[in-house]
Amino acid sequence: MDSQPEPKDSQPKPKDSQPEPKDSQLEPVIYICGDCRKEIPVKPGDAVQCRECGYRILYKKRTSRIIQYEAR
Amino acid sequence: MSETASLNMQDIPQGQLPEHIELQRARVFCKADAPVHTEDVEYSGAYAAVGFDNSLQVDDFRRDFRVEIKNLSMDDIEFDMIGIDASLANAFRRILIAEVPTMAIEKVLIVNNTSVMADEILSHRLGLLPIEADPRLFDFLSENDTPNERNTIVFKMEVHCKKRGPRLTVKSDQLKWLPNGSELLMESPNPSTKPRSFTSFSCSQASLPQISGRPIGMKHLDIIITQLGPGQSIELEAHAVKGTGKVHAKWSPVGTTWYRMLPEVKLLKEVRGNDAEKLVKKCPRKVFDVEDVGHAMKKAVVSRPRDCTLCRECISGAGEENIALRRVRDHFIFTVESTGALPAEVLFTEAVKILEEKCERVISELS
Ligand code: SF4
Ligand SMILES: [Zn+2]
Repeated sequence: MDSQPEPKDSQPKPKDSQPEPKDSQLEPVIYICGDCRKEIPVKPGDAVQCRECGYRILYKKRTSRIIQYEAR
Repeated sequence: MSETASLNMQDIPQGQLPEHIELQRARVFCKADAPVHTEDVEYSGAYAAVGFDNSLQVDDFRRDFRVEIKNLSMDDIEFDMIGIDASLANAFRRILIAEVPTMAIEKVLIVNNTSVMADEILSHRLGLLPIEADPRLFDFLSENDTPNERNTIVFKMEVHCKKRGPRLTVKSDQLKWLPNGSELLMESPNPSTKPRSFTSFSCSQASLPQISGRPIGMKHLDIIITQLGPGQSIELEAHAVKGTGKVHAKWSPVGTTWYRMLPEVKLLKEVRGNDAEKLVKKCPRKVFDVEDVGHAMKKAVVSRPRDCTLCRECISGAGEENIALRRVRDHFIFTVESTGALPAEVLFTEAVKILEEKCERVISELS
């Protein structure tokens, strides 16, 4: 049996459902601080660093989509 | 040639086997080094020379076959099947393990999981949870089917561990049955169409007559799934479908099921006095007892042969020749341990039905 998880989505999100690309330039991406777990908005050109504690490792947030796994 | 000579003895009636041959036919001998006469004599004419008919007749089988239930509890059964061939006993065992269907979680839709346990591991653990639902009320979900109330059971789990609190142990009671099907919505390709959920139930499962009396849930509510640290949470939906153990062990309806042949312990010579005491001590299963025979004499008797595990402790060392360890070839002590979807005795009858179906298929193929 194929034990690979298959994070298959129902349908891939079409590109044009998000405003592209000018607005997304301004939209900050939220990261999570690896130390204090605070959510940090990061814009292009910002330092990759937590504003609260100065920790330099930031994590991407989990996708908002539902991920489907086979329970095997 | 000595055996041939014994076959011609006048005191043995025709149509009956001489005692030692009959023993070889009906028993497996457990010698100190290895068992002997382990093979079944199947050929109907094997003993034709002494006029003994070794064929298996359906009427004889009907007359001689017996089932004796020794022990029956909620999930376990122990019974004796007497007068059946090992091949059939083994067929039932294999069908029980691999072919009697149950319901088990197969798809896990994870919305959020911030626990330390990876999504795949969590899904795998969910799959192994026994579900209390009668699989006979459900259909198999094949690849092109849409999940509906006849083939899918949906559970939801939403747990969150409070910040600055103690760790939270997530147990199987956190999985809540959703009789109306999935509450999660699929992302639709164009935003104008109404989003569909992951299942299409036409009615609530709780309203189905066979289910309404016995709500579906987890068989055990205290199985630990994972632990959450402060601030962590899990949100998911688990879809259970019908399947069989040959696809994945999570669908096996039994923890395990096994049989053993009935042990037969015989004292060939009388074991008396000190030797009797020694023999009683030797046996770890307390098969032997000491009996007073008067005149301050004691002798060993076999009182619990059924408990014998054939460890052969009693036939190692001195006194070996006094004891015969055998197994009754057509007497099987069968044990079924159900994981809970169906009672153990129902599982066995289901296994019998499956074998029956298989036989019917063979017959119709041949005719
Ligand atoms: S084989 Fe083992 S369990 Fe059986 S009677 Fe002998 S000592 Fe006891
Ligand atoms: Zn920080």
